[in-house]
Amino acid sequence: MNAVTEAVRELSYAEALREAMDIALDRDPRVVLMGEDIGVYGGAFQVTGDLVHKYGTDRVMDTPISELGGAGVAVGAALTGLRPIFEFQFSDFATLAMEQIVNQAAKLRYMLGGAVSVPLVMRFPAGSGTGAAAQHSQSLEAWLAHVPGLKVVQPTTPEDAKGLLLAALDDPDPVMIFEHKILYKMKGPVPEGHYTTPIGTAAIRRTGRDLTIVASGIMVHKALEAAREMEADGIDAEVIDLRSVRPIDRDTILGSARKTGRLMIVHEAVKTLGIGAEISAMVAESDAFDYLDSPIIRLGGAECPIPYNPELEKAAVPQVPGILSAARDLAKGRV
Amino acid sequence: MPKVDMDMDRGRIVAWHVAEGTQVAKGDPLFDIETDKAAMEVEAQAAGILHHRAAEGTEVPIGKPVAWLYAADEAVGPSPAEIGASEAPAPGNAGSGAPGEDGRASAHAADDAGRRDARGGPLHPDRGAHAPLARAGAAPQEQADALAPRAGDSDPECGDRPRATPAARARARDAGIDLAGIAGSGPRGRVQRADIDALLTTATPAQPQRSGSLAVSRRGGGSGLPVVLLHGFGSDMTSWTPLEPHLGDRPLIRIDLPGHGRSAPDAMPDFAALAAAVRAAFDDLGLARAHLVGHSLGGALALALADTRPRQIAALTLIAPAGLGPQVNGPALAGICRATRADSLAPWLRTLVADPRRITDSYARLAMDARADPALRAAQTALADAIFPDGTQGFDLTAALDRLVPPARIVWGKADAIIPWQHALRAPGRVGLHLFDHIGHMPQIECPEEVGKIVGQPL
Repeated sequence: MNAVTEAVRELSYAEALREAMDIALDRDPRVVLMGEDIGVYGGAFQVTGDLVHKYGTDRVMDTPISELGGAGVAVGAALTGLRPIFEFQFSDFATLAMEQIVNQAAKLRYMLGGAVSVPLVMRFPAGSGTGAAAQHSQSLEAWLAHVPGLKVVQPTTPEDAKGLLLAALDDPDPVMIFEHKILYKMKGPVPEGHYTTPIGTAAIRRTGRDLTIVASGIMVHKALEAAREMEADGIDAEVIDLRSVRPIDRDTILGSARKTGRLMIVHEAVKTLGIGAEISAMVAESDAFDYLDSPIIRLGGAECPIPYNPELEKAAVPQVPGILSAARDLAKGRV
Repeated sequence: MPKVDMDMDRGRIVAWHVAEGTQVAKGDPLFDIETDKAAMEVEAQAAGILHHRAAEGTEVPIGKPVAWLYAADEAVGPSPAEIGASEAPAPGNAGSGAPGEDGRASAHAADDAGRRDARGGPLHPDRGAHAPLARAGAAPQEQADALAPRAGDSDPECGDRPRATPAARARARDAGIDLAGIAGSGPRGRVQRADIDALLTTATPAQPQRSGSLAVSRRGGGSGLPVVLLHGFGSDMTSWTPLEPHLGDRPLIRIDLPGHGRSAPDAMPDFAALAAAVRAAFDDLGLARAHLVGHSLGGALALALADTRPRQIAALTLIAPAGLGPQVNGPALAGICRATRADSLAPWLRTLVADPRRITDSYARLAMDARADPALRAAQTALADAIFPDGTQGFDLTAALDRLVPPARIVWGKADAIIPWQHALRAPGRVGLHLFDHIGHMPQIECPEEVGKIVGQPL
């Protein structure tokens, strides 16, 4: 393998996740995959693919249609020495497993005085845009990020999908990975072999002077598209990929807010009481406040379930034109 | 005693409008004050029954009580010692009494304050109990804390605090700039970082330069063609502040017209005399070439200047210029000349713009402060009488416009209530017209970004 092929190799986001699991299964016998239809079916979004044929049903396990039961088995497996990766078919079904995630996985290390830890990885296909309607399109990452004891990440590129999944496996505590369904087919460069993307670090995807856009999940790509269009207006936007919801990369966000003085946060999850509110408050409470030259602006999901009608589905979450016009107003001091 | 003027530290009570023991409503005029710059009427900040008025003619330091408002059912206490005090008490001895009072009197005043506290403390005016008609500061500290305006308070003083972003506040703080004097370019007049930056780069000298007999200030900067700015009637060079950030880094030269801003209030018998004074100032600048930007009367003067100095004028931008027709809003001109208070000035200022909400009460107060000098107002009244006799534009520059040599454009708001925008249609075909819907007589303030772009376009 020479350096040139390494640099140009592209994988899809789903392939990058599969490669991460393949590497993990290969290098660590404690790693097991669990989830509904992840075996011969290959997973609801074909992320596990044919791994069952390579590693067998002892390591790639189909679980019954009970998220609570499956999650309970995964927590128990993690407690007793395995490194389970549990896949939900849709992140919406996390609601069924809340007891295991919130009351068991997140708290056992604390309640047992540090005698145990729960090295559990859970994968959640999330987000709208697939026409899957109200019960299969939500963005619930802020729910889990509200719980001390959990780590929550949202990879937005194939490279980070692999790197964050491998970092999650190295973590002694439960890590929740929210994967946007629309991103599964997105291609991008992915380094070969084992590497990790540090949990708790944001990535500055585009540097700029005039305003900061902190985006998460698929909104990173929409924000970048809006930022490219803004160039024509002479607006130079900095785009930060949040990447890790908990812990949050305070230094990167505050540093950028100090630099540009104008902050906008974009996420797909419902705006009210969301991650944007947390980031906004974090900046307003910090010394970066003195550098703000505009109110902080949040864009997020509408106050409604995700509609089935495709036009309404689009209207329920931020889109490029909305990001563009809000960012223009913000950068020009019109907000 | 409210602070109505940036430099004041005390105000003289000229006259009370309300007798002792009278019930007043919030907003009622209470008394007139005079500072060394301005006279102003002060309104009641709360309802109540007025007692313990400071005597007329007394000078009261800022923040000291001038009277007390009592609730209807409240017993009137003894006259507090600090009322009418003619000197500011020393820090740490705040509110203890007038000079010359001995320690007993001070102690009595302190006891008096203590007793009020024991009855439940000095309550906020809105809650009905008595409270001094004052900002916190000179009252004893515990009262000061109780009386200090709070965020979200319905205290009308909150509405007068300048709107500014944290970044603008931080920068103004560092530079020792008072935000109250700045016209913000943000929504609802909010001062933003760029406004402070513009002020700092302006570096207006304390003693203005003179060119001819007129006051001039400059913004240095880039190497482009200098822009010479001529303001309109009744205004001054500071009216360009909102536009300036949108003029790139070109050198700016602002001229105060005779009888305006910091230029001397010389008598101008007619438009020709006015144009001659501006021409002398322009000649004195010694510019090889310049881009002239004139607003309203300044637009007419720019045309007159271009007529006589065509080789030095590279381009002209005329914003709602005068001199292209007889109509002008005479009552508004007269109202502005006549006004001696912000209250009477504000309604006329609001006729200048399409959206009257742009002119806030504090903006009007600052505008009135700038017009506080009676000699300046007299000079402008005389000038209006000379060049706008009987509410008519008594000078005609359409011929100058027809034979204009330098390239020119006219910018006008179609909601102009001072000079009809249709005067722009007198312009010959080679003059560019930029007409804006929903903009009044002050495009350079109402849509400075657009006007900046137009000035910046090569002709």
